[in-house]
Amino acid sequence: MAGETVDLAAVTETAAGDAGVEHGGRLLAFTDAAMGEDDALLDRERRALCAVLSPEAFIDACALVAAFNVVDRIADATGIPLDPMLHAASGDVRAELGLARFGSAANTPGAG
Amino acid sequence: MASQPRPSRIWLPLAAGRNHTDGAEYRGAQAPVRDDLREAHRFILDHVRSPGTWWTGAERVEIAAEARGATRCALCRERRKSLSPGAVQGRHDGPHALAESVIDAVHRIRSDPARLSRRWFDGVIASGLEVGRYVELVSVTSLIAGLDYFARALGVEPLPLPPPRPGDPSRHRPGGAKECGAWVPMIDPADAAGAEADLYGGGAFVPNIVRALSLVPDEVRVMRRSSDAHYVPLAQIPDPTYHRALARPQMELVATRVSALNQCFY
Repeated sequence: MAGETVDLAAVTETAAGDAGVEHGGRLLAFTDAAMGEDDALLDRERRALCAVLSPEAFIDACALVAAFNVVDRIADATGIPLDPMLHAASGDVRAELGLARFGSAANTPGAG
Repeated sequence: MASQPRPSRIWLPLAAGRNHTDGAEYRGAQAPVRDDLREAHRFILDHVRSPGTWWTGAERVEIAAEARGATRCALCRERRKSLSPGAVQGRHDGPHALAESVIDAVHRIRSDPARLSRRWFDGVIASGLEVGRYVELVSVTSLIAGLDYFARALGVEPLPLPPPRPGDPSRHRPGGAKECGAWVPMIDPADAAGAEADLYGGGAFVPNIVRALSLVPDEVRVMRRSSDAHYVPLAQIPDPTYHRALARPQMELVATRVSALNQCFY
């Protein structure tokens, strides 16, 4: 990540670009489809992603969708606050992304 | 709290348009699934089917079935569309073998995690669900969500839930768990001793997400194994040069997008 520029807005908005990451647009579209309910759209985005990534990288993308659906639920259901060290380190990024609007921000004192 | 789960709810029928897989081998998938992921999925399913700390294997498989069923539940769908999930009353699609309050907790965690609140949690506990049971339920529900999202992303049917193993819960209550600012008690790394000495792997920094399930230590162990295989081993998370076939910026882009779509502040 060091030395690379990532378009942070692409993370929280519907973005058409690559977010400054190779194949970022395809990865975001695939992720959105995997998180949605439109099976036909997901089929198209899966094929499009597989056309530009290696099979191993495609599996990594699937695994990441899985991983963060686990940890997000654990975090939200246990009401953990963001660790102070992470909060301090990511404050500017979180402000830029407007993450304080999420309901679970209430679990972190001073975040909302 | 539960009777034996009904076999018809454990083995899911195939849906049209998705490939059948041979268990955690994923032989029908479009791309080969790496060994450590397949091993992690087998481990998770075996963990879910086994007697836990507070729930029996049969109850844990039933929790897993409810977690999966929540994605098709009419009440959950109506609640997601509502400004306030509490404004929509009713019963979750059933039949159910678990208590209604347990079913509701599982469905809410699976289908609408962003709108869980301290007030909601307090209500769940006030309804009579012991907090250790709650933590274990959170783990099983979340792990199954992960397996199901992996299958959906890959384009295959969700792995069938296995039959439960017989046996009694361990009822192991760890020493050292205390209030740490979360809704549930957690074990501070400095207090992870004795049977829990292995819990955090001795790392210098243990984020709250790793501690979140520590009231039920075995759930931390399986969550760590899952995270190691699906994302990055705990010790490597701070290392920006660590990557898989995807470059690290690509990995973080997908991870952050998922959390943004889930509206998860953490």
